Amino acid sequence: MSDDSVPLALPLPRLAASSAEVTALYRELNKPLLRYLVCLGLTSDEAQDVVQDAFLILQRHFASGGDQENIRGWLFRVAHNLALNRKTSYHRRFGETLDGGKDFPAEDATPEQVVLEKEKLRRFAAAIQLLTKSERECLLLRAGGLRYREIGEVLGIATSTVGDAVERAIKKLAEQCNV
Amino acid sequence: MCDVQAKLVAWLDRELTSDEASAVARHVEACHECRRWVATYERVSQTCDAYCDAVMAAKAPRRTRWVPVLAGALIAATAVCLAFLRTRVLPPAVIEPTVAIASPPVPETPPVPQPILRKPMIRQRHPVPNTRERVPQEQPMDAAIQIAIPAEAMFPPGAVPNGINFIADLGIAPDGSVKQVRLRQ
Repeated sequence: MSDDSVPLALPLPRLAASSAEVTALYRELNKPLLRYLVCLGLTSDEAQDVVQDAFLILQRHFASGGDQENIRGWLFRVAHNLALNRKTSYHRRFGETLDGGKDFPAEDATPEQVVLEKEKLRRFAAAIQLLTKSERECLLLRAGGLRYREIGEVLGIATSTVGDAVERAIKKLAEQCNV
Repeated sequence: MCDVQAKLVAWLDRELTSDEASAVARHVEACHECRRWVATYERVSQTCDAYCDAVMAAKAPRRTRWVPVLAGALIAATAVCLAFLRTRVLPPAVIEPTVAIASPPVPETPPVPQPILRKPMIRQRHPVPNTRERVPQEQPMDAAIQIAIPAEAMFPPGAVPNGINFIADLGIAPDGSVKQVRLRQ
């Protein structure tokens, strides 16, 4: 071996660090992402696929030295775009009824409470379909814990537009659902 | 309608600047109507969360609940086993003679009441072959025909001593065809 050989510059420490970060982010954001995606209309399996794809892209993003600022918004944007690529299922399944679902009220709820809660959620499911696509997406991303600025980045709209859309959506739902 | 009402949702979401948020907070404390709207918007937000959770739960892959399935199978198997074990094995039927045996006339005596003896119940653990005699079904019997054939009829003269016959046993199938031919001397 010659003395002037160039040492191999494998980015192993960076890869290990990025893997740890991705794992931590996965634990934190897996459920909110899944919830957002199924509310968009994806099936559970599709949502799982999209989340996995999104985290694979994130891994590559980190490995290539990509920007690490506001990763939560970045992940939601990637997942949102991946979900939109499945437009067929998105449009076909959005607004599926909650019938046949598991019992979502608390286990210790009385039968009357269960019926009332289900009825309230049915009214809400019907009302949310009356929102515009933008209002609905803003509302669901807000429910995912994103700030207005992050929602704007995900959807590619201004932060002030997000604020207006969220406010309109909330007011419409309040009128429709009479909660 | 208050002007502040347009900022209530953003205020709840902590999206206002600190100055704006302080102003809205002061107003909400004083304004009954805005407090009512704040409460309504909070309920809508909570319902939205519950809706998202419900959609997620409704779309979650269903797992087979094995406990009830296994319990049902176990109960069914137990019932079958119990029913099987309680089956009494009947003693083989005694065939009464059909021909009356001549015997001296016996004066009729009133029947003596016999004590009812309970036979111990026989529990059988293994399946018992059916002990009842099977009535042999009538099988169509093949007809057998014997034909005596003189030796001169089959062999050239002189090849076989005179007076020797061959017997051909013909088995006739039910459809009339020859099923078997056996030649013997």
